[in-house]
Amino acid sequence: MINVLPIATTMLAALLSIEPLHLDGYAALTPAFTLMATYYWTIYRPDLLSAPLLFLIGTIQDLLSGGLPGETAVTLLLARAILLPQRHYFVDRPFPFIWAGFTLLTGGAVLFSWALHSLLAAELLDLRGPVLRAVLTISAFPIASFLLGRSQRALIGAD
Amino acid sequence: MRISPARRAAIERMSLTLLVLISAVMIIIGKADQVAFQSLRNSLMDAAAPALEMLSRPPAALDAAAGRVRGFITVYRDNLRLAEENERLLGWQQVAMRLSAENAELRDLSKLVSEPAISFVTARVIADSGGAYARSVMVNAGRDNGVARGQAAMTGEGLVGRVAEVGSRAARILLITDLNSRVPVVVDGTRQRAILAGDNSARPSLRYVDAGGTMRIGDRIVTSGQGGVFPPGLPVGIVASVDTEGARVEPYATLSRVDYLRLVDYGLAEALPNPLSVAARGGKRAESGVGGPPTLRR
Repeated sequence: MINVLPIATTMLAALLSIEPLHLDGYAALTPAFTLMATYYWTIYRPDLLSAPLLFLIGTIQDLLSGGLPGETAVTLLLARAILLPQRHYFVDRPFPFIWAGFTLLTGGAVLFSWALHSLLAAELLDLRGPVLRAVLTISAFPIASFLLGRSQRALIGAD
Repeated sequence: MRISPARRAAIERMSLTLLVLISAVMIIIGKADQVAFQSLRNSLMDAAAPALEMLSRPPAALDAAAGRVRGFITVYRDNLRLAEENERLLGWQQVAMRLSAENAELRDLSKLVSEPAISFVTARVIADSGGAYARSVMVNAGRDNGVARGQAAMTGEGLVGRVAEVGSRAARILLITDLNSRVPVVVDGTRQRAILAGDNSARPSLRYVDAGGTMRIGDRIVTSGQGGVFPPGLPVGIVASVDTEGARVEPYATLSRVDYLRLVDYGLAEALPNPLSVAARGGKRAESGVGGPPTLRR
């Protein structure tokens, strides 16, 4: 029963991503919470957050946010595809190493989404907003990682 | 039954590839046909509305508390400002009452058909788009509360957007800053028409300005009523910048943080073309609806 923790936290991250915070301009810069949860669980317990679940949660987020259906799903799935073969480099490593990995992943995800939208709009879109969003996402990761780590230790333990 | 690690890796690879492909197809379909996922979106919106509403309460309460603290700090200054403003507005009230009486008299004389009754629903924002490439919000009122597609979403200051999708208890509002938003507008007091086109930036641009027309910084922009989706004369914003690429409009409403919205039914919602129409499917936005503004019908 407690093995649903990765699903529950990733779903919660998806809902947090569309949460209105009453701050000027926050909506466009909301950190990619779902990516944080996906990164964390793919490293520590990939067995508890499978690809079909990532697809489902990503699609729900896209449909609820009014965004392009499939975009978050494909981003999360690609993140898993890239991370899964490398995960043994990250398990039991000090946090700065894990954070650096997340920085690379976020950079890639933001560039991917920018390229996708530029392609669909047939023009080069402004990159400043997405870069700021990436910075916020990377800055917020330690807090997310800490919270996920505490709940994991309390409820399920390591693989 | 235990599956060997090699076999498990193969299954993982296959399912990942398949799901990425499905997502890619969804992206293409979603882009080509804006209504393909509409009913799914609406049901999901209805299902998630209670959870989103609950989640959005703590930040709303925090914001309200912060507002109260700010209010205590500025109460003296605000009081002075309001007293002065009240005096000025009392003068305007006299003017408005006189104009209103005169207007009623003239309408009576010219036998003008009365405008349809206006009704509105006030709704709270329970979710936003949370991303760089779309500008929309979800509100906690839907079909059950009388919300319909095409209704205007306003704050006290001006136009915010229009109702784009309606579930039974939640609705999505497409903001005028969204890349897909197009609103026929006019410079207030002139016949200078244009289309207000969102591009995901804070200031939408004015396109298709009448030939020979000029826009000046400070011009008041209101809806023109063309297309029949919005009534004419709703305040939108002011021209904030003019350069070689055209003019940009600063909306009156603070779009980057809307808490409560008024969804106004001007009796025109039916005029919004059905999303399944050929024009919408071809990727062209249907800007001309049926009939003109109701005030012009005699």
